[in-house]
Amino acid sequence: MSVFETIELNIQGIKVTVRKKGEGTPLIYLHGAFGYYGWPEFLDDLSESYAVYSPIHPGFLEAEGIEKINDLYDLTLFHLDLIEELQLNKPSILGHYFGAMIGAEVAAVCSHNLDKLVMVCPAGFWIDEDPGLDYFVVPNSDIRKHLIADHLNPRFANIVPWSDDESEQDRSNLDRVKALSTVAKFLWPVPDKGLSRRIKRIKSDTLIITATEDPIVPVSHGRKCASLINNSEHHILQHCGHLAMLEDPVHFVDIIKKFIM
Amino acid sequence: MKVSWFHLMPYRYLPKDFEENYRSVWVDVPSHLYDPKLGHQLYNEYLDELEHADSVGFDGICINEHHNNAYGIMPSPNITAATLTRRTSDAAIIVLGNSLALYNPPIRIAEEFAMLDCISGGRLVAGFPVGTSMDTNFAYGQNPATLRDKYYEAHDLVIKAWTEPEPFAFNGIHTQSRYVNIWPRPLQTPHPPVWIPGGGSLETWEWTARMNYVYCYLSYSGYKRGIEVMNGFWKEMENLEVDDNPYRAGFLQLVCVSETDEKAEEEYGEHVDYFYKKCLHVYEGFSEAPGYRTIKTIKAGNTKQLGAKATQARKQLSWNDYKDEGYIIAGSPKTVVNELRKASEGLRVGHLMVLLQIGSMPKDLTIKNTELFASKVMPHIQDMWNEYEDHWWPKPLANRQVAGQSISDGTLS
Repeated sequence: MSVFETIELNIQGIKVTVRKKGEGTPLIYLHGAFGYYGWPEFLDDLSESYAVYSPIHPGFLEAEGIEKINDLYDLTLFHLDLIEELQLNKPSILGHYFGAMIGAEVAAVCSHNLDKLVMVCPAGFWIDEDPGLDYFVVPNSDIRKHLIADHLNPRFANIVPWSDDESEQDRSNLDRVKALSTVAKFLWPVPDKGLSRRIKRIKSDTLIITATEDPIVPVSHGRKCASLINNSEHHILQHCGHLAMLEDPVHFVDIIKKFIM
Repeated sequence: MKVSWFHLMPYRYLPKDFEENYRSVWVDVPSHLYDPKLGHQLYNEYLDELEHADSVGFDGICINEHHNNAYGIMPSPNITAATLTRRTSDAAIIVLGNSLALYNPPIRIAEEFAMLDCISGGRLVAGFPVGTSMDTNFAYGQNPATLRDKYYEAHDLVIKAWTEPEPFAFNGIHTQSRYVNIWPRPLQTPHPPVWIPGGGSLETWEWTARMNYVYCYLSYSGYKRGIEVMNGFWKEMENLEVDDNPYRAGFLQLVCVSETDEKAEEEYGEHVDYFYKKCLHVYEGFSEAPGYRTIKTIKAGNTKQLGAKATQARKQLSWNDYKDEGYIIAGSPKTVVNELRKASEGLRVGHLMVLLQIGSMPKDLTIKNTELFASKVMPHIQDMWNEYEDHWWPKPLANRQVAGQSISDGTLS
């Protein structure tokens, strides 16, 4: 895996680090609440076909400035500014969970400057009969089994790893608090913040991906999302969980490439 | 030293095997376990107990706010306080407190506390907790990422509402009003003393000192661990160049008094067990929403009082463990006096709050505990810290009206 380039930006007074790799059509990857560490295989594979830009969201890891983003409107404008600052012409957005929701919010106000939108296990929906798992109350030590379908498979040991080492656990807990409190700021206590109304404005071709073994974003949420966007299709991944792009990167990248030609 | 009688109002009738069959006493404990007829009895007994504490000479009576739980059935402390203002005459009414971020608009708190202060003749202590994560984030759906900002903003609004004699506009992030103008104003000036219950977070210490409020460490881990935390508090006061007046601090301690040390175990053992094993049986996932504690506090290494680790640690505790580790101070009056003096000195607290109704403890035993404490313990500890002035105690009117007085003396005719 070759090294990515790091771009430092200042957006609305917030320092943002964007990792970039590849050439060609720009593709922005907005990460979700889990599985945001490092430069994973699926991004590397995508960078063979696209110029992949992957910003670290304020509030995650060492990225500061989340206190300057007060609400969903601020969050949307922050990302519009980010795209502008990167000087990208009609990029596509690939977002996972929280990142997918942000992508949809951006697309709802700014479809004309976007090419395609891919929403993977998107946050932002609520169905009374099928709300999805309240992962905020799942202890960190138990979270892996809700994120990865085949979580006992040693092949996936490096995805959201849980160590027996206490200092490693402390570090992991701290990262989790930062990540989830950031996500909570926009999704607590119920993730429906009106996206279903705004999403109808999206004119970009949109691919929604959900996974059959994802308890956090049930497939029914993907169906609802697809039913509200005109030019959309819904792909359901079998035998995958919430972190489908890490569990089955080859298949995942293949689907994305077919959609973003 | 000021000594106050603290009630949690626990639900005393949880099933014996509660902790095996239910994951949490808080948040999702199903309300079919609550029997309103028993509730009627409990509320009346508990209010009697608080009123009794006033009549036997406690300096203050303390109540608090919790939601979705069987640990303490007091979702509205102001309703409780309202009954106490009418049925007690001398004790300070210490509402510990109203969780500021839960009220929309928080002006409601300024109004209700002002009412309580006026009705009671200036006996109110206004407590402003952030509230537990279970209460605020899970039961009341408040956002953990913004809870503390909302709390501080609400605090500023309440204080301004109490002290600003003209209508004013408030343009906050969480509350906006063109006309803040509360009627009634509180009786005490500039406002009732403010006490801040907390769990040991550094930001709260700094803020409490800056605002010149009382910091109350409400811990169920007992005074021995409490001393470690309060040492940190006093060190921080020194760093901030704030004086070391013990009345800046409050502490809650579980106490069981009987004729002898042995009899205390016999009488109180099962009720203390009920408290620690049932009332504090909180599911790990509810103990702290992400963002509830600040990163700074987490990094400082303060451990949580609730959740899996704490529950596990308490599971094996015996009566002697509770005593040895300071979770409870129990025994004959002499034993209790000695240990309470030692605890209060170690903690350096001028406001001692005692929990004398514990877990499943029935009324008769609570009354016994209260009376033994009032007659044989309290007189031997109240002399502590006499050399200091308590600037944080209510200043009631000298001639106060009492319930029924306006009818019996004919002023209404």
